[in-house]
Amino acid sequence: MILHADVLVAILAMGVASYLCRVGGYVLMGYVVLTPRVETWLKAIPVALIGAILGPIAARGGPTEWLGLATAIVMMRLSGNDLVSAVAAMGVVAIVRAIS
Amino acid sequence: MYAVAFGIMASAAGLTTAEAALISGWVNAGGAQMASLQAWTTPVSLVAVCLTTLAMNARYLLMGATLRPWFHGLPARQVYPSLFVMGDATWTMALREREEGRTDAAFLLGAGLVMWVVWVAGTAAGHVFGSVLGSPERLGLDFMMAAFFAALAVPFLRSSKSLVPFAVGVLVAVVVDRLVPGPWSILGGALAGSVAGTVYSDDPAR
Repeated sequence: MILHADVLVAILAMGVASYLCRVGGYVLMGYVVLTPRVETWLKAIPVALIGAILGPIAARGGPTEWLGLATAIVMMRLSGNDLVSAVAAMGVVAIVRAIS
Repeated sequence: MYAVAFGIMASAAGLTTAEAALISGWVNAGGAQMASLQAWTTPVSLVAVCLTTLAMNARYLLMGATLRPWFHGLPARQVYPSLFVMGDATWTMALREREEGRTDAAFLLGAGLVMWVVWVAGTAAGHVFGSVLGSPERLGLDFMMAAFFAALAVPFLRSSKSLVPFAVGVLVAVVVDRLVPGPWSILGGALAGSVAGTVYSDDPAR
């Protein structure tokens, strides 16, 4: 059971942040009405975050990573299962790395 | 299965088994945990991982808000533990239960607890599995997270409303990543993208 102090502090803080989100909406609804604009913003955050994660990965990566990302997207369209798509993309990346 | 995947990712990111299990038990939010691993550096930036968690969990604000009419009037000792275990799947299931006329609010807590146990146990198992697999690069394990987010983007982008926040998120993150390496590209892109999406959808000309 190894725990690093900085990691432990980060995890505890993340948990607090996570729980604040869960409770925050419920508690706030007792006092204020969510404006449509705020609601639109909150809904837009996850997809913007996903884009922000993928952008630098694609920009820093080379053909292997691009092929992997393309595999994940194509497999997701075909199978509709994100787990299957991710494993397939990993497989493609592993194979390309093995033969190159 | 997602728990096992997260455990493997956590081992590739250099976390210990205890740390990985603790994240799953304490943070208990798959998307936020995976996104935070992407922002993980050594030593870890407290601000970066917390903001990433907030950003990915912002949807819980909306989900919690929808539960208000249902849970209102219940004692706090029942409401707040239920919210701790609330996840995307259990929230969806609970709302469906209610639509079908089964109004037992304990459903969310019960389903959530089951999911929580599976989530923590799966993370630990995945981490142990990931550690014995050896070199993460050789098996493409370091790419697992990127692959996951690429797959996750597909259902989001079926809605045309998501195109602007996604595209702006990509562009701003790439630029920020060039200027300051580290986790800040994710947060800058998420903020710029979500604000751009909000402004765009407010425009009456669209």
